[in-house]
Amino acid sequence: MAQQLPYLTSESTVEERIVYLLADQDKKALTLIFENYGSLLLNVIMRVVKDRMMAEDVLQQVLIKIWNNSGSFNSDKGSIFTWLVSISRNAAIDKTRSKDFRLTQESERSVELVNITEKKSSEDYFEKMYLTQLVNQLPEVQRRLINMSYFEGYSHKEISDKLDMPLGTVKTRIRLAINHLRGVI
Amino acid sequence: MDIKEYIASGILEAYWAGELNEQEMKEVDRIASIHPQVKHELEEVRSAVLNFSENLELSPSKTILNDALAQITEEEQPEFLKEVFKVDDEPVEEKEEKKSFNLPLWSAAASVLLVISLAFNFYFLSEFQSSKNQLLGLQGDLEVIKDQQSSLAELADEQKQQLAYADLRIAHFLNEDNIHVRMDGLDLSPESFANVFWNVKTNSVFISVDNLPEPPHGHQYQLWAIKAGQAPIDAGIFDHSLLVQELKVIKGDVQAFAVTLEKEGGSPVATVDQTYVKGFLEKS
Repeated sequence: MAQQLPYLTSESTVEERIVYLLADQDKKALTLIFENYGSLLLNVIMRVVKDRMMAEDVLQQVLIKIWNNSGSFNSDKGSIFTWLVSISRNAAIDKTRSKDFRLTQESERSVELVNITEKKSSEDYFEKMYLTQLVNQLPEVQRRLINMSYFEGYSHKEISDKLDMPLGTVKTRIRLAINHLRGVI
Repeated sequence: MDIKEYIASGILEAYWAGELNEQEMKEVDRIASIHPQVKHELEEVRSAVLNFSENLELSPSKTILNDALAQITEEEQPEFLKEVFKVDDEPVEEKEEKKSFNLPLWSAAASVLLVISLAFNFYFLSEFQSSKNQLLGLQGDLEVIKDQQSSLAELADEQKQQLAYADLRIAHFLNEDNIHVRMDGLDLSPESFANVFWNVKTNSVFISVDNLPEPPHGHQYQLWAIKAGQAPIDAGIFDHSLLVQELKVIKGDVQAFAVTLEKEGGSPVATVDQTYVKGFLEKS
């Protein structure tokens, strides 16, 4: 914690807030991490454990690890996300070495995505409507690509194999989809 | 470096997908830290993905966060003050305060014990010495001398043992990881008292048998941990003649300790009306 704490203002980015709160041993840091990086970290974990339920389990352990190792984050070495991903990957790999993981692997090879609820309330209704529209207008293939790449733990290579689509096309279409979601057409 | 080309390469999308290895991610971080445009773009991609997940309800369940927070709180609980005194949210200052209060008290108690121990030590040593000289000087009845010598040696041994116990007791008083609970005599034996040391790291319970009457034949004292709304939990039977003993491991929200007289070998259920001493964990 020898790092200089950024002085927080209303302009501070999510990352700055998290770094500040972590250094300050404030548990709100975990809430911010969960809200802003939770689904991305879950995806990173799923790339390794391939099972949503188990990945959620790992994510919970990851949050605890983040808390217990909050002092070890060093912004000189990379962003908070890079640090979070590193913790998540290690935890996911640990999980694959555990006994319950191997047992699950034997009993159920493929696991369907579990539908989960829980929604955040939005500050700006119209902004939200617009974003919803963008999501709804996303072509089916691109939606599938976003799902696989960001939420179902598939690597670009796996997507390419599974959808029988050249790797370069996978990458281009993901970028296209993201641009669409950003309203950049 | 052509920033536009870099952004268009799709590496930023890959970054959030977990597609890059640690080194590649750090490289993106480095470039983002020197090119605000890349940093901005990176954030835009993240918020696009975040919006997508929120719209399609793909975000992980909030239960994960709540469970993690609950577990963290639970793990912090061995910092016993929080648990015992149920100060839920700002325990840090409380704890510091408590510590700085307790330490001088333990130190004082320990110092007193140490001084007493040393005094006894000196006293017996000099007595032993002078008796020896006296005996040699008198050259009296050998039988008597031998008797006296051995009884003095016995006394010295006993004293040594007492000293060892006193040292152990001092160690427990000084141990910052110990919660100390003094148990005072109840109606059954108002003069009695005993002390419990509860190690917050190992959860081990130690009893210091200070002043309890000799138990009647076929009976033994037993220590109990008392939690709210539960029957007393067996913390172990102990030997009345040993000053300091380690008993069982006790975890959780203990509010008090008590000693009852039970049949030899102990009892699974406390005979509450035979409670000799009892003490509550201090409230802050």
